[in-house]
Amino acid sequence: MSSLTSHLKIMIAIFLALGIAIISYQVFILKIPLTESEVDNLWTIDAKINFDVRGTKPVNVSFYIPPKGGDYAISDELFLASGYGKNFIEQPFNRLVTWSAREVSGEQTLFYRLNLTKRFSDEIENSVKGELWRAPIEVAGPEKEAVDRLVKEIRSKSANVSTFITTTINTINDPTNSDVKLLLHNNNSEENKVKVIELVLSQAYIPIQQVHTLQLNKSTNQSLNLWIRSYIEPNKTIDNRDSSLNGSKGNWFYFNPLNGNIGLPSDQVIWWIGSKNIVNVENGTKTRVNFSIDKSELTAINLAKLTAEGSNFTENSFYTLPISTQLAYQIMLMIPFGVLIILLLRNVVGINTLGTFTPVLVALAFRETGLVFGIVFFSIIVFFGLLLRSYLEHLKLQMLPRLSIVLTFVVMLIIFVGLFSHKLGFERGLSISLFPMVILTMTIERLSITWEERGANFALKVAIGTLITASIAYGVMGYQPLIYFVFTFPAILLILVAFMLGMGRYRGYRLLELFRFKAMLK
Amino acid sequence: MISLIKTWQKLNEKGVMGINQRNADYILKYNNRRNYPLVDDKILTKERAIKAGISVPELYGIITTEHDISQLNNIIKDHRDFVIKPAQGSGGDGIIVIADRYDKDRYKTVSGRLLPQSEIEYQLSNIITGLYSLGGMRDQAIIEYRVKPDPIFKSISYEGVPDLRVIVLMGYPIMAMLRLPTRQSNGKANLHQGAIGVGVDLATGITLNGSWFNEQIVRHPDTDNVVSNIQLPMWDKFIHLATSCYELVDLGYIGVDLVLDETKGPLILELNARPGLNIQIANDVGLHKRASVVEAHIAQLKREGRKESVEERIAFSTKHFSILR
Repeated sequence: MSSLTSHLKIMIAIFLALGIAIISYQVFILKIPLTESEVDNLWTIDAKINFDVRGTKPVNVSFYIPPKGGDYAISDELFLASGYGKNFIEQPFNRLVTWSAREVSGEQTLFYRLNLTKRFSDEIENSVKGELWRAPIEVAGPEKEAVDRLVKEIRSKSANVSTFITTTINTINDPTNSDVKLLLHNNNSEENKVKVIELVLSQAYIPIQQVHTLQLNKSTNQSLNLWIRSYIEPNKTIDNRDSSLNGSKGNWFYFNPLNGNIGLPSDQVIWWIGSKNIVNVENGTKTRVNFSIDKSELTAINLAKLTAEGSNFTENSFYTLPISTQLAYQIMLMIPFGVLIILLLRNVVGINTLGTFTPVLVALAFRETGLVFGIVFFSIIVFFGLLLRSYLEHLKLQMLPRLSIVLTFVVMLIIFVGLFSHKLGFERGLSISLFPMVILTMTIERLSITWEERGANFALKVAIGTLITASIAYGVMGYQPLIYFVFTFPAILLILVAFMLGMGRYRGYRLLELFRFKAMLK
Repeated sequence: MISLIKTWQKLNEKGVMGINQRNADYILKYNNRRNYPLVDDKILTKERAIKAGISVPELYGIITTEHDISQLNNIIKDHRDFVIKPAQGSGGDGIIVIADRYDKDRYKTVSGRLLPQSEIEYQLSNIITGLYSLGGMRDQAIIEYRVKPDPIFKSISYEGVPDLRVIVLMGYPIMAMLRLPTRQSNGKANLHQGAIGVGVDLATGITLNGSWFNEQIVRHPDTDNVVSNIQLPMWDKFIHLATSCYELVDLGYIGVDLVLDETKGPLILELNARPGLNIQIANDVGLHKRASVVEAHIAQLKREGRKESVEERIAFSTKHFSILR
């Protein structure tokens, strides 16, 4: 390829870069699966809310639902509450759904169903910034002394805000510490511990939020987990007195309030943030929330079609076309690959074919007949067509009428073979539609011209070359994973063009030439 | 696999030209498509050659339409032998060679077969409809002088007319080959039909060893005579004619086909803008190897800002490409 001019090299580079860039964008940014069989989990979470209403009363239910834009993408949401009006309230960190009804009585059941998938999530960290400073919670008496002692002790053991928080958590979880016992008032529940943690941290001006999460695993009665989080600027010291620092570039840090571990496991989905209850029912009693979680595996491409976030892929792809158009496009998109096979077999291997692109047409015809039946059919028809042609030779007809007769005969033959094979039980017999018929007739025309010009041997050689090329092209053009890839990443065609441009200056030997010129090496 | 790579390397070292290289580095580079009709249409070639004073077989007449076919007898007149060929044919397809008249409406081919007038007319009709033409387009039939091969070839040829193919790059002859018909090629001088190719030394016109299909051979398969070491007569005229074809059609890479007529001497039969590559097997030399010598020489001349005459070019080629001298 040393003869590539810089102009051509630039062209190739542009096409190659463009193709690779577009495909990489689709793969790495849009997270489109590389193969059709790639599967991913789709989590279905059902939240069932039960409550009783004594008598007939207006009811107002507010229920926290997971915010958008986390690690998981919400592909689908379903609200089942007959007789209730539904309303959304967006809060800084949360989404709240409210159901309301004017006259309800008896036991009520409301459903919220959520479909989540890791793929196609934008994974943009919730961009809402948090507070960096808070005012201390007022305490008095012996509690005040206990808190002060704890803060002093913790401060001596920690270097920055996040270690201060973990040390606080560990200290509160230490059952032997008498100051902690005093503050907990013998209530060792998680909620109470979090409350005390908040109290201690507030003395150091560190704000925290409660985070309620749900763990993704298959279960029917899943309870919520409590985490805390804080918005921390990196390398910030614990002298958190300056309240003017709010709102610069910090990050949310998540802490497990039972052991001080930092970081939210990837199977935890944030349901809501804050210290309020998940559900609040006006005029309702005995309110219960029950979660059940199920997992199903879906092929990634189907997920893409389901997912709202994945839609910026599907909206700009061939998948939005009507199905019948999609199929036609699939065939069209594969034609360049058939052409590529011909290019390789002719210019690199050195196989003779009938005309330049006839093998692609024959391969397309095979799509409708199937490969084996197609080859048999092709051979039979070509054989009889040529037989007739050699008979017509004796009649000394002019070329055009002679070819017309051959073509007419071929059409009759195709119909006859089609009907005959149908009678024999080959369903494919009737699959010969107009398109392959035209291709076959054309092929025979070209072949009989080749026969007249170059003789039977050459015609046979060319016919076999065409069949081989067409079979390979058929195989490639019908290879399902490739079809999926081309259809999903059409930019591959740009890479193909780059390759073809390069092949345009291919000057090396054809494979068969190595045998042709072998005699010269003796 | 490894042996294939070795073959590849060896062929490369020998400077053997492959089809891809021929197309990309020579035909595409040196042959302007605009000039193709001059070689593809034998009538145009002939007209130009006559104007330039280059010897070609005499043209008796041209048949362009079905109606013209009835004029055949007027064209032939009293010539007892003649050749009919498609003006835009290739590879020797569609050619009829009539050696003699038998009676009023029957002719004798070279092989002695009797051909009724009706069959000739049928063939003319086939030619005109474009059966043998390159793009399948309508064509014309040429009726011309039948070359009578010089008896020198008797011992190494089977029927038909042997011809000489010279590859001319930018006006420099770089390789030559004698094409001898065989029984298998039905008296035709086309290698793909089974004729044999015999290398010819560019300086002396003495034949070298031969090739048959893709093999190298020493003896003619029909006559069993050794094909090498035969001096072609009037070699200087041959090489001069071939070389001057560069000016004739302005194509940089051509194959010139010449014949030796027993009375008229060397004649140009036709030109080819995409000459085949088996000439390399016959000469046992790579075309690329020789072509690069000429290309280097042309680059040198370009720097010096001069051009060479036909004689100078022949001198250069015979000096650099002779095997025997």
